[in-house]
Amino acid sequence: MLAAILAAGLAVGATYALIGITYNLMFSASRVMSFTAGQLGMAGGVLGALFIARLGLPVIPGFILALAGCALIGVVTEYVAVRPVLKALDQHLYVLSTLGLALMIQQFTAIEWSTEPQPFPRLLGLSTTGPWDEKFWLPILACAVAVGGLEYLYRHTLIGRAFLAIAEDNFAARALGLPERNLRIASFALAGVVGGLAGFASGELLLAFFANGAMLNFLGFVPVALGGLGNNRGAVIGGLALGLFQQAANFIVGGVFASVAVFTVFILVLLLRPQGLFGAPVARRV
Amino acid sequence: MKLTRRELALGTIAAATIPAQARAEAEPIRIGWLAALTGPLASPSIGFDRGVRFATDEINAKGGINGRKIELVVRDTQGDPTKAVNATQEVISRFKVHAIWGPTNSGELLATTPIMARAKVPSLVAGVVNSLIDPTKYPNAFRVTPSNIQWDAAVRNYTIEKVKAKKVAVVADATGYGTAALADSVAGFKAANIEVVYSATIDPAQPDVSPDILRMKNAGADAIVAWTVSSGLAARLMNARAEAGWDVPIVGHPAMGTGEIGKLVTKPANWDKVYIIGYKSCSFDDAGKLPARTQAFVDAAKGKFPLNDTSLWWVVSGVDSIRLIAEAVEKTGSSDADKIIGYWNTLTNWPGLYGTYSFSTTEHNGFHTDEIVMQRANSQHDGAFALAPGYA
Repeated sequence: MLAAILAAGLAVGATYALIGITYNLMFSASRVMSFTAGQLGMAGGVLGALFIARLGLPVIPGFILALAGCALIGVVTEYVAVRPVLKALDQHLYVLSTLGLALMIQQFTAIEWSTEPQPFPRLLGLSTTGPWDEKFWLPILACAVAVGGLEYLYRHTLIGRAFLAIAEDNFAARALGLPERNLRIASFALAGVVGGLAGFASGELLLAFFANGAMLNFLGFVPVALGGLGNNRGAVIGGLALGLFQQAANFIVGGVFASVAVFTVFILVLLLRPQGLFGAPVARRV
Repeated sequence: MKLTRRELALGTIAAATIPAQARAEAEPIRIGWLAALTGPLASPSIGFDRGVRFATDEINAKGGINGRKIELVVRDTQGDPTKAVNATQEVISRFKVHAIWGPTNSGELLATTPIMARAKVPSLVAGVVNSLIDPTKYPNAFRVTPSNIQWDAAVRNYTIEKVKAKKVAVVADATGYGTAALADSVAGFKAANIEVVYSATIDPAQPDVSPDILRMKNAGADAIVAWTVSSGLAARLMNARAEAGWDVPIVGHPAMGTGEIGKLVTKPANWDKVYIIGYKSCSFDDAGKLPARTQAFVDAAKGKFPLNDTSLWWVVSGVDSIRLIAEAVEKTGSSDADKIIGYWNTLTNWPGLYGTYSFSTTEHNGFHTDEIVMQRANSQHDGAFALAPGYA
């Protein structure tokens, strides 16, 4: 029983954490909270099922194509929903533009794919069951790989440092001659890949279902708020904690009360530490 | 030919002197058929529609009823209550229909039933919501399908009498329907002195239901009663039951028998021991045979429309409705609303294809509860299912 809670809790937690990182990646490149993050996760699952189960591609090409599709959605988000509103960030128009695009992605999937959850293929076909089933550890592995990869990118590569530079100070980075616009597009493509990875790796658990987008949007935002905006490590810890807490609440109180429990804790944390558990208060000139 | 004023006058007088009876005989019997033929709720109506057209063609090919042909006035409501209201008003006021069949969703019927009652149009109801039938408020409305209460009783009786469960777990999806069905079901079991050891609504998007299954198992449930229209939730319950190494039966809503489930269960065996609400008339017995009456219909319908992409009971229910209206006109010799309603009120054990119906002035829920049976969820072929164990 404890093993079941741990396995499922860490698996959904890792998925929420990856969606949280997707939010962060888009935010640090543009200062925009893009509400397409959850839809990227949904698209990862749906595209994976489309390429592998429906069109019969082998797992590796199907995986690459699914992530490429999500990267494309990321780039489209930048062009359609982010770039036009960048000039008026203080009016928070991006809430409307990114939510609108997210709804369009969701409805398009509902019409073209299905309104019923569709099966996601067994990726490795291992015969393990119970807590050691691949559907539980694949999302955790994906999360570890994504976090490790991003750390490497930011610390050891030139393009990663350039990402950090525009996240740190947009104007100074441009003054230094960094191609801010292209870096932003690359960031959104990268966010698409991470979001798609979340959906693909958790496909066996969440199924290829159009309504997963809204759910991930919501629950993926919680680790961002808990961990502090832009803080990937905070998002991972927040996400795993959320998954474990949610699964334990499912077991202890059951049913819809579990959601109430999750958001009660969320609101309490934000009341006590508005900057997030791991974020530092930012000084603001007044 | 040129018509003079004198000829016109003579013709008018002549027409006016023809007995009213003779004119009525030439007039077709108009039946309003309000169907959600498109949209997300279309699948039942498409099935009903096949039965409606089959019965209409059959009657008209024999020359109609007392020399009067049946004329269908079909309106697509798209499952939308607003469109259903408009269509109801149109068929009543403009086409002056003699009877109405449909709309077929409870949501639409809640909106249209009072309108039909005001116009006193005989109507046959295929919605499950209990409040749709009230012989005092709506003396014109007769239910030809089971109500929610009958479904609930059928599931409860099977769980108690055939599964012999002493402790049950009741779950439902967290929708309006699920929440209401859960409350009714739990109350029913408690009234029958059966212990409900677990009851909960579950979000259809919850990725893992193993905590819920573990709680039911730990509480010692002998059966799971499930009220959900979500194929994702139903399949997850079946998968989690198998992973927990538990094999109590799951009994409940017919949506657990849709083909979608077959794709979502991780092993075909996970779909075993799942029993869904069905009807005696549309069930295969242990020898794989349908009841003779149903089989005769299936043979007659073969080649006219496909039977493998829709539930058989939708089709035969459509047939019964048209035949009920036709017989009322035939036996009373009139398509007046009072005559049709009066005739239906006298029916006892009327043998339809879908079921046996009995109505009276005080009871308009005509479908017999004992014709509701449980079927094996994974046994669908040609729109019908095999009987669940225990009916030998």
